[in-house]
Amino acid sequence: MTVDLDQYVKPGKGHYIALGLEGSANKLGVGVIKHNIGPLSQTNRAEVLSNIRDTYVTPPGEGFLPRDTARHHRNWVVRIIKKALIEANIKGTDIDCICFTQGPGMGAPLQSVVIAARTLAQLWNNIPLVGVNHCIGHIEMGREITGADNPVVLYVSGGNTQVIAYSKQRYRIFGETLDIAIGNCLDRFARTLKIPNEPAPGYNIEQMAKKGKHLINLPYTVKGMDMSMSGILGYIDQLANDMFGKQPKKVIDEVSGEPITPEDLCFSLQEILFSMLVEITERALAHVNSNQVLIVGGVGSNERLQEMMKLMIQDRKNGQIYATDERFCIDNGIMIAHAGLLSYRTGQTNLINDTVCTQRFRTDEVFIKWRDD
Amino acid sequence: MSSLIPKATYSAPDLDESKIFTPGDGIHTTDGQTTQISDIVINAGGEDRDKPTEAKDTPLGHLRAELTTLQDQINIFLTERMKQEKNKQSEQEEADIERRILDDGVDEDDSD
Repeated sequence: MTVDLDQYVKPGKGHYIALGLEGSANKLGVGVIKHNIGPLSQTNRAEVLSNIRDTYVTPPGEGFLPRDTARHHRNWVVRIIKKALIEANIKGTDIDCICFTQGPGMGAPLQSVVIAARTLAQLWNNIPLVGVNHCIGHIEMGREITGADNPVVLYVSGGNTQVIAYSKQRYRIFGETLDIAIGNCLDRFARTLKIPNEPAPGYNIEQMAKKGKHLINLPYTVKGMDMSMSGILGYIDQLANDMFGKQPKKVIDEVSGEPITPEDLCFSLQEILFSMLVEITERALAHVNSNQVLIVGGVGSNERLQEMMKLMIQDRKNGQIYATDERFCIDNGIMIAHAGLLSYRTGQTNLINDTVCTQRFRTDEVFIKWRDD
Repeated sequence: MSSLIPKATYSAPDLDESKIFTPGDGIHTTDGQTTQISDIVINAGGEDRDKPTEAKDTPLGHLRAELTTLQDQINIFLTERMKQEKNKQSEQEEADIERRILDDGVDEDDSD
């Protein structure tokens, strides 16, 4: 039996249009998606009508504070929505549902965006609202874009690190970080080295890592199916402070005798962290007897991570790796629109007094009504 | 359009009567005093690229500007209340320290 996704289609209409609003961290994303009636398949794909993003960027060495991030979202949200509607060539009243990120994420930025969603829903004749779990947004958009059918999902971003697999209408978490997220670890190290935050600190680390030659010894902390990164960050931060602090200390590579550079530190941090991710992902593949890996989340756009994952998956029978580019990997509005529209098509909407955001919202709390495989 | 003048009411158990906020007369803009970017960002060499757009000369535009004034009033009022609350707490803590030193932590009322 397949799920009937067209019980709630408006009479006389052959498609659905959803507006998605994302603002759980420093990206404000607005997307418009279109689904034609019938189940989504290789021949009936979701159509991206627009996908606009604006990022709140801070000076080098600074992270993004909730207050200023929320202010960024508040002051840009109307302009970005207008742009998205113009690009999609639709009017507010063409929209079937307004989807917003309900969590997890930073409280103040989430709040600013949900206020925009509620206001628009009321302005445009009470359009239904759909609260979306941010992680589910990443997973569903990744599946739709890549065509991965039932993959093990590695979700790696600034706020989340999880290995997820689908079972009985839930995306279940097989392994996750025990402390900080991988993107947070990389971003905070970028701050230590005062690497610019534009276009993204992780991207700049990736570019520097390409020039690194020496692998320094860092702790490797996989604990069962989970991993821990705060200790590694503490260790490498200390090393960087010793090397480039007030009294710089030269550190020499034991094998070549050459001095260790900031590029070597970026390279080593990436290699160690990504090896840990590959290890727990491979174990999850064995658990669920799968041979597909889908990488989603901002860190998923890192080419070195994709390459390392590919080396692992190639050794498995019929192994396949799926990843998306920065338009869909990095937080965006279209994924919220897509996952929200799937919810809407199975009759799941939120009353306005049930649209409160939450900073903690685990992936496995969501009932995946639109799948029954 | 008079129907678009915003108003806010604040009540709390310790206040005898509710406090009502209205934007009042005067020039209202969307550039609020209490909704500026943090000093931390500016001091770190950042610039403010996220200023709000100016209010349009329409009923909704005026509402935006007046709401910003209202928000400033509320923010100032609530910050002041938080400060008072904090002062009360630290006075209480000071009194506790004094009592501990003078009475060696023994509260006579509780001694039986």
